[in-house]
Amino acid sequence: MRLGSALARLSAAGLSAALLAACSPSSTTTQSTSTSSAAPVAAAAGNVIKIGVELPLSGGDASNGIPTRNGVILAVEESNKTAIPGGFSYAVDDLDDAVQGKHDPALGAQNTKTFISDAAVLAMVGPFNSNVAKAEIPLTNDAQLTQISPSNTSNGLTQGDDGRKLRTSHPELNSFFRVCTTDDHQGAADAAFAKKLGFKAVFIVDDNETYGKGLADVFEAQFKKGGGTVLGHEHLNAGQTDFKALLTKAQNLRPDVVFFGGTTVSGGGLLRKQMGDSALKTVAYVGGDGISDDTFLKTAGTMANGSYYTVAAPETSKLASAKTFVANYKKRFGVDVGPYSANAYTAAMIEIAAINKAITAAGNKMPARVDVTKGVAATKGFVSPIGTVGFDANGDTTAPILSLYKISGGKAVFVDQVNLKT
Amino acid sequence: MDVFYQQLINGLSLGGIYALIALGYTMVYGIIELINFAHGDVYTLGTFFSLAILTGLGVSGEVHGLALVGVVLVTMLAAMLLCGITGVLIERLAYRRLRNAPRLAPLITAIGMSFILENVMQLWKGPSPISFPAVIPNPSFQAGGVEIAAKQILVIVLAIVMMVALQLFIRNTKMGKAMRATAQDRDAAQLMGININTTIAMTFLIGSALAGAAGFVSGVYYGTTWFFNGFEAGLKAFTAAVLGGIGNVAGAMLGGFLIGLVEAFATQYIPQGAQWTNVVVFSVLVLVLVFRPSGLLGEAVPEKV
Repeated sequence: MRLGSALARLSAAGLSAALLAACSPSSTTTQSTSTSSAAPVAAAAGNVIKIGVELPLSGGDASNGIPTRNGVILAVEESNKTAIPGGFSYAVDDLDDAVQGKHDPALGAQNTKTFISDAAVLAMVGPFNSNVAKAEIPLTNDAQLTQISPSNTSNGLTQGDDGRKLRTSHPELNSFFRVCTTDDHQGAADAAFAKKLGFKAVFIVDDNETYGKGLADVFEAQFKKGGGTVLGHEHLNAGQTDFKALLTKAQNLRPDVVFFGGTTVSGGGLLRKQMGDSALKTVAYVGGDGISDDTFLKTAGTMANGSYYTVAAPETSKLASAKTFVANYKKRFGVDVGPYSANAYTAAMIEIAAINKAITAAGNKMPARVDVTKGVAATKGFVSPIGTVGFDANGDTTAPILSLYKISGGKAVFVDQVNLKT
Repeated sequence: MDVFYQQLINGLSLGGIYALIALGYTMVYGIIELINFAHGDVYTLGTFFSLAILTGLGVSGEVHGLALVGVVLVTMLAAMLLCGITGVLIERLAYRRLRNAPRLAPLITAIGMSFILENVMQLWKGPSPISFPAVIPNPSFQAGGVEIAAKQILVIVLAIVMMVALQLFIRNTKMGKAMRATAQDRDAAQLMGININTTIAMTFLIGSALAGAAGFVSGVYYGTTWFFNGFEAGLKAFTAAVLGGIGNVAGAMLGGFLIGLVEAFATQYIPQGAQWTNVVVFSVLVLVLVFRPSGLLGEAVPEKV
């Protein structure tokens, strides 16, 4: 049976990847993007520079992945309308890292290898999830391929010993960057927010993933520091769907708020839904950006109301700098921006700016990947829809902004914004 | 003590669903010694069929009185029938020709069937979780400080009724007798004039129908489903079947309830227990198999099915 389940998982990865690639609408968008954008320059195949997009584009994570991918598409289309040195043009090449409807580190690593082996890929945007990033960073570090994540918030990806251990081949040259803030900021913001709302006793649940556990641990420490009581901290099993026993345990401790560290598909949605069948029905629910997607609203149903979450990005409708971006996005895709669309757009724009510079420096020829990485690392004061962005020595953004939302009436309502400028 | 009883109820409801699925595993294994990996997905298909039928009936919220009984019966029986037919089709198309092939071949076919079903369901309803209408009004009853939801009673009662009915069917009907005979010795049964193909098809029909019932019940109980639901539940139910003694119907029930209870109590009584539930469940399995290699009831009732 062990063998059976291992086999099942193994072939599940391959089969579903193939099937999803075949039926996902994303691949057609990509192709039309690259062909239409390449047309005015009349570029030969060798003149196209690809931006690799590595995101979950199917399954429960797709409601986050697709609007994020669209941000990159918009950046590439806009850049192709400007003068690019050397007669190059840009194209989006996207790969899906979801297996059986959920982001998967192994497939993410495989996708990254595909990008690395394609000489036309000079930079990547992605991944979306921190545990996927953990599998990818050593690969991009080795290939010195620039990778900017719009949404990875786990601290250990870039900072401290954990971060150093991921940069095995080129410890001196960081190739992984992010335009969002980190979980120590997000967890602290969640804790401060919970305190501000008057919550005193919390029951914490996390999904035992890189992102979820990291966020929950920071929240726990910060909530205690702020004078709150932590009644319990439980971790979920991967694939768990029944939380009734866990909720019975929680309700007997009488928390006034439940904190969830993790994503909607790793249990955040179902946990909230099942709270509706327990004595915790009227208790508030706070989470990080992992539950900031439409899938959460769908999964939790009416129970989604009364939940709070943070997003490691500014609320674009409140930012003057984002007005043009928001309007252009709506015009291009016919829908409103997702929480991480502007971050992805910014990530791609930073990469394109660095590539343009590197092309000129290389005498209007295809630049080396490492030069692009160096260019991105040197980014300072980059004006973007999410404000003025730069990277510190670790590759983290120097402009961390967090937005706080509450769900009421089946919709996320912007509550507050914190700018944790370092 | 209240918490203990509350968790007992939680465990029994979860275990009831596991047990219903486990019956299908154990019946099929008992009769053709095949681990039907597609069975967990037939269970998920049960939730999908129920959802489609409820949509067809125009039910999207709570139903009361006689209409409730009607809706529950119609939906569940239709889901059972559709799942039963699916099971028979799977057996006819994928397994029958491999009945005398080396044992690995049908096993791999079963895994393949599982993927086919999963992907068909993904195409049908999309990859995201789908919410299931809350058909049953859910008042809860207070019994000595323990809160029991109507849904939980429904799950437990339905599971027990189905199992008793199955036991009676296997013990007392001609077809039940034929199934037991086929399980014991297929060739001898054939020589005695039993139609093996019909008997095996019947086994798949009943096993899959029970998975369909479990699908309906879990849809109502959790209020949600998605195409990959059957993987985890199928694995646990299979474990339940092995724990109870695979091939043994009473063992599958016992194993199902036991695993549900172990999960609930491990969550409650082990510090940070939620993450250890699988470890505890499989430790129990290993321990039982060390001392009773054929499962809890595997030897007590040597007769299969």
